[in-house]
Amino acid sequence: MTVNSKQAISTRNEEMIVKLKTESGMPVIGYICCFAPPELIAAAGALPYRITGIPGADNSAADAYVEPYGCTYVRNILARAVKGELDYLDGLVISHSCDMVQRLYGIWTYYHPLAYSYMFNVPHQLTPWSKRFFKRELGFFKESLEKYTGNEITNESLRKAIDNSNLNRKLIRKLYNMRKEDKPLFEGSEIIELLIDGGTLPAEQFRKVLEEKLAEAENREAGKEPKPRIMIWGSIMDDPSLFKMIEETGGTVITDDTCIGTRVWDKDIPLTDDLYDGLTSHYFENFQCPRTDRGPGVKRFDYLLERAREYRVNGVVGYCISFCDPHKFDYPDLRDLLKKERVPFLLIDDNYSFEPAGSIRTRLQAFIEML
Amino acid sequence: MSHSEMSRAKRHLETTAKMKEMLPRFFMRQMERRFSNEPLAWCMVGVPPELLKAFDLLFEWPENFGTMCASRLVAPKFIEVAEGDGYSQELCSYVTNTMGYCKLFKETGEAPEESPLPGGMGTPAMLLGSGFICEPRWKWFQSIATRFFDVPVYSSDPLAPPWDIDPRDPRIEEHYLSLLREDLSGQINFLEKHTGKKLDLDLLREILALSHEALAYWRDTLALRKAVPCPMGSTDYFHSIIPQMYLVGDQEAVDFYREMYAEVKDRVERGVGIVEEEKYRLIWFGLPPWFNMGIFNYLESLGAVFAYESTYNVGDYFEVDLSDPLEAIVRRTWQRAVKMHDYGAETMPELCNPAVFGGFSGSSLLEELVDDFSLNGAIMHLTRSCRAVSFGEVHTKNRLSEIGVPSLIFESDMADPRLWSDAQIKTRLHAFLETMDKAEKGAR
Ligand code: SF4
Ligand code: SF4
Repeated sequence: MTVNSKQAISTRNEEMIVKLKTESGMPVIGYICCFAPPELIAAAGALPYRITGIPGADNSAADAYVEPYGCTYVRNILARAVKGELDYLDGLVISHSCDMVQRLYGIWTYYHPLAYSYMFNVPHQLTPWSKRFFKRELGFFKESLEKYTGNEITNESLRKAIDNSNLNRKLIRKLYNMRKEDKPLFEGSEIIELLIDGGTLPAEQFRKVLEEKLAEAENREAGKEPKPRIMIWGSIMDDPSLFKMIEETGGTVITDDTCIGTRVWDKDIPLTDDLYDGLTSHYFENFQCPRTDRGPGVKRFDYLLERAREYRVNGVVGYCISFCDPHKFDYPDLRDLLKKERVPFLLIDDNYSFEPAGSIRTRLQAFIEML
Repeated sequence: MSHSEMSRAKRHLETTAKMKEMLPRFFMRQMERRFSNEPLAWCMVGVPPELLKAFDLLFEWPENFGTMCASRLVAPKFIEVAEGDGYSQELCSYVTNTMGYCKLFKETGEAPEESPLPGGMGTPAMLLGSGFICEPRWKWFQSIATRFFDVPVYSSDPLAPPWDIDPRDPRIEEHYLSLLREDLSGQINFLEKHTGKKLDLDLLREILALSHEALAYWRDTLALRKAVPCPMGSTDYFHSIIPQMYLVGDQEAVDFYREMYAEVKDRVERGVGIVEEEKYRLIWFGLPPWFNMGIFNYLESLGAVFAYESTYNVGDYFEVDLSDPLEAIVRRTWQRAVKMHDYGAETMPELCNPAVFGGFSGSSLLEELVDDFSLNGAIMHLTRSCRAVSFGEVHTKNRLSEIGVPSLIFESDMADPRLWSDAQIKTRLHAFLETMDKAEKGAR
């Protein structure tokens, strides 16, 4: 795979969002990480847009602003932001997911201010008071969006936005469910590509894409022999490269535990009386990112083991971007747990380039053959 | 790196030399109590030491243990054990040092013989974390309790407003203060539960009064470093933070910092500096290379002295009303956060640091420091495994160059000497000072 084809995804998303912006006249608010709910952005009459990176791109433009050591994905986004390549964004919301993302906010907005920007502060503990903090923070975020867009976020508009995205969640789960078959009708890389589109498209349009995919997939002919079933765990994956490499080397990605994948779509946002309670439980309590401290012990991985069982996973491929503290610190604990549970585990360390592809493929191939 | 390249620091003050007797005395007292099986807490910087003292709890600081392992060059052994266990070399070397130490401890049931401190870090009965500055801190104690010691953990979560949010907006203030208050009561409930003791507020008030007295001397001592020639350098600075970690709230610490203040003041009055001819007055950014503190003496030999360091000022002094000691702790934390915020916190985490300027650059703080301390250059240590503290150095460099202050960033690590290359680093430091000379001549 060449750098160009990786760039293609970002370029396609960018073209799509610029078109949507022109057609709708609505401002585009970019986000990274899902703690600040995109539903609130939509309810404010703006276009939520998940900023994607370009794996393997030249990030040297970031060097004038940040240190060389740090997550390459974040450096990539900063490099493009300071070059003005993300100037189609009207606004930016960044949540303190990991340290690197949080620091990106200050540097970006200092050197390259946007019409609107908001840093969404997220506690690391799941205590009653940190939940209260998160909920209040949702309120401050709401106010800042209202102030910028001039539109009030009413309970009705928010409810509608949540309903819309929950509908999509159902469709996505349906797609994932179809992967539970012995001989799935389509590949994991097809799903991740769809989900990446979902970070750009407004919920109603995304729904159409999902429905078309479902209809088309149902008419496909099941065929091919069952393949080793892989789950991907790890750092941000806003590119299907690794999925494709696994497919090319004889496996199939049956499910994942990544932030564009199941972490956001796995469960519905609960429609509580106070909608902000539901958002708190979805985006804070239940959002399975290792940056949140769920206390000691391996119970924190229960959800992952359950999913592995549910999808009859044969092996787990971990993907860690260099300097990704939350995932790298979890690796030894998770590896030991999976070993105990007799689930084979392979870790791929990468600098967000999926290169050298040859050696990654060789390692994947050896792993898949062993399953 | 070869070990012969590393040199230990030569200190200049008599007060810091006294720590040679003071600290072993303290550690012996600790040991006796450990042997009688009193519960021991491992803590992270950010946990108020006054609170630990009020519970009369034995405590140890894995971060500080990391610095000691580094200065005795045993850290690589522990770090390599952790790497063998799957911890990446990119991860904080204080953390990996502890992980390796714990693994060896668990295998043999006792502290590895290379450990500094008699009995190493002991066996923890609880872990008290604080996420005041970085991500690794959330994972560190979580993993220790998962892999090595199945003991209760409390991690405090002190958030602060992001750089573009006004901390003086009363609603924002309340948003954060209520979190800080509840977090502190969570910490206290945890301590009460696991020590079986009730917090004595009167005792806490007395301890806070003593600790603030010590910190006031510390603040005044640091201010004396504005004098030309600078009366105190980095080797004494970095060494003398230790009583703040272990002895804060003790009369012994007050006496120590009072004596230190008197000694430094006397040096100012007599015009005694750290170097004979003070050619370069610098500010140090980042964590020091604990395994090679002699690097400061090397710089001194070239006529360079640091009058200010951006890190490890563990506990700044703040005027607070002690009548409600818990509110005093909260207000102290909050005041530090607001002060840092005022200085410009664009590259800082939105968290309450226990020390103002704990490793970070605030835009306006820089100008103030450069003037007040008559600084003419900056040296920044980019620590590969601690991005939390290094982050912002490039930005700081940019800001300094706007006000005409030259700076150098060099790379290594705080605890892992494998990342030190002596000849290369010294050449760069030397060359930097030479360019400062040239710039100065050009300006004249
Ligand atoms: S990949 Fe890791 S370091 Fe990078 S943004 Fe995601 S969590 Fe942060
Ligand atoms: S601030 Fe740096 S040295 Fe301290 S625990 Fe965090 S990563 Fe490690």
